[in-house]
Amino acid sequence: MRAAVPETIGSRPTSWALRLRATPGVISVASSALLLLAWFALAWTELANPLFLPGPVQVAAKLYEIAVEGYQGATLAEHLATSLGRILAGFGLACAVGIPLGVMMGLSRNVQAALNPMIEFYRPLPPLGLYTVLVMWLGIGEASKLALLFLAGLPGIIISTTQAVSSIDLIYTRAARSLGAGQRALFWHVFLPAAGPTILTGMRISLGFTYTVLVAAEIVAASAGIGWMIWDAAKFLLSDVVIGGLFVLGLTGVALDFLMRVLGRLLMPWTR
Amino acid sequence: MIGRWTGLALGCAALLAAGIGPAEAQEKPKKITIGFLNLVNAQLITKGLGLHEKAMPGIEIEWIKIGGGGDMLRAIAGNQVDFGGIGNPPSAIGVTRGLPIKGIFVLNMLGYVEAMAVRTSKNIKAMKDLEGKTVAAPFGSTTHYLLMTAMRDAGVDASKVKMLDLNPNDIALAWARGDIDAAWYWEPNLDKAVKDGGEILIHSGTMAERGYPTWDIGVVMTSFAEKHPGLVETFLKSECQAVDFWVKNPETSAELIAKELSLPLEDATRMMKGTEMVPCDKQLTDAYLGTPEKKGQFTDTLVKTATFLVEQKRLPKVLPKADFEAFLAPEYLQKVLK
Repeated sequence: MRAAVPETIGSRPTSWALRLRATPGVISVASSALLLLAWFALAWTELANPLFLPGPVQVAAKLYEIAVEGYQGATLAEHLATSLGRILAGFGLACAVGIPLGVMMGLSRNVQAALNPMIEFYRPLPPLGLYTVLVMWLGIGEASKLALLFLAGLPGIIISTTQAVSSIDLIYTRAARSLGAGQRALFWHVFLPAAGPTILTGMRISLGFTYTVLVAAEIVAASAGIGWMIWDAAKFLLSDVVIGGLFVLGLTGVALDFLMRVLGRLLMPWTR
Repeated sequence: MIGRWTGLALGCAALLAAGIGPAEAQEKPKKITIGFLNLVNAQLITKGLGLHEKAMPGIEIEWIKIGGGGDMLRAIAGNQVDFGGIGNPPSAIGVTRGLPIKGIFVLNMLGYVEAMAVRTSKNIKAMKDLEGKTVAAPFGSTTHYLLMTAMRDAGVDASKVKMLDLNPNDIALAWARGDIDAAWYWEPNLDKAVKDGGEILIHSGTMAERGYPTWDIGVVMTSFAEKHPGLVETFLKSECQAVDFWVKNPETSAELIAKELSLPLEDATRMMKGTEMVPCDKQLTDAYLGTPEKKGQFTDTLVKTATFLVEQKRLPKVLPKADFEAFLAPEYLQKVLK
């Protein structure tokens, strides 16, 4: 009986076209290609004002120019390195603080009760509003930028870690304890394997949040970074730089997320 | 059932026709949107006295305060205003990018209302002393243009100056914290820096004397001007009245401006003195807009500004002078004064 189930799902399609349609990868590629095609068409027919929506060729050419000659004193790689450095530092800090806090909150209802109001209060604050205060306290340099990225990434990690730890079945803990496991063994062999996948999901979501505040973080007194480049170019109506910058952010975001998933599979092979 | 739906549809169509009909007959817009800059000039008098509202009865006048040239450009590009105001750098950007706007009157000439404040303790006595210091200006604005120009003319090595892009509010904040040594920006925050351990090294009026005038110009969307040339003239008539009012009643004007911008009266008075208003008949002379036949020196400023922005790699190329001449449209003002 059991063998019958996969057979019906994977039953051979009558033609190769049908099989092609069934692969999710193909659908993703097709939908992306369709969008790109629509963009080409809009640019080519000049239905859209090129001032607001420059064509893909123009955007690609501009990106190439920035990669080779640079934009306002830094090449694309340098802008990207600056931004990624900020993002990874902010995100790393968020993980370093958020995961232990989340574990403590998941294990103790008292800790959770003590910290929850603060987290729930600042979590929905708009990043630009928060940033104004951070600039007042920490100045216009790197510290305020890192703090904003850190604060954007923190809640996602704390909430998912808390959730992950508090939902661990007590039976596992008791079983391990009765077999003589100490605190360290419990952490490595029970908590981490059970909570790891959810924490990883939280980290991925949190990296996304960190990304969304990048432009806000680089508005004040930056002179490099993809977010700054987008902001600066918008002032001069350089829409090809703006759209190109957004593409770079989007693509690196996808790449980072992919990396995190690969890392998760390597570290936690049991999630597969 | 079908009869009822048809009736409803007919009713809707009738309503729509009724709604469209009279508006088309009058050929008047229901609403005019004016984007005004957060600056001290006579347009605030126009607003405070309600001159446009009085001169254009039956049309709703919506005033939108816009923080700076960059935002104004976006508002114009998005067709969200009918009338607006921009400085010479955003004007040069707008013309080069082909925005459908016309410059129709001089809003103000910038004097010491825009200036570079330097921290007294840093001992900055000349432009050259800026090397090794942290200097802020809102990039893409009139003061950024003057800062870079003044540094170039004084032979300052720009790579030795740490330049920061900050908007005026953030400059005030960074100044108070001690994060910056100098900043070229504008009132009302400029005075705060001077009172907080600062002094003025150079102001925009001095640069105007050296041949780099900066100004703000009132613009209208080209499509609006083509559709309603009469309203553009009515608009200008009110703006001219406000300039006259500013010149003749400085005290009442200061009170109006203080109220409009929520400023103390003394601040408004000081800022008015640092801003030059140009009476409308003078605007048609060569130093300003010029005449439809021979456009004035505003064209030269625009070409100079565009050249600067191209050097800064903020614009792709300098357009021919004729394109900048085409942006200036003194013909509306000329008709008003006839």
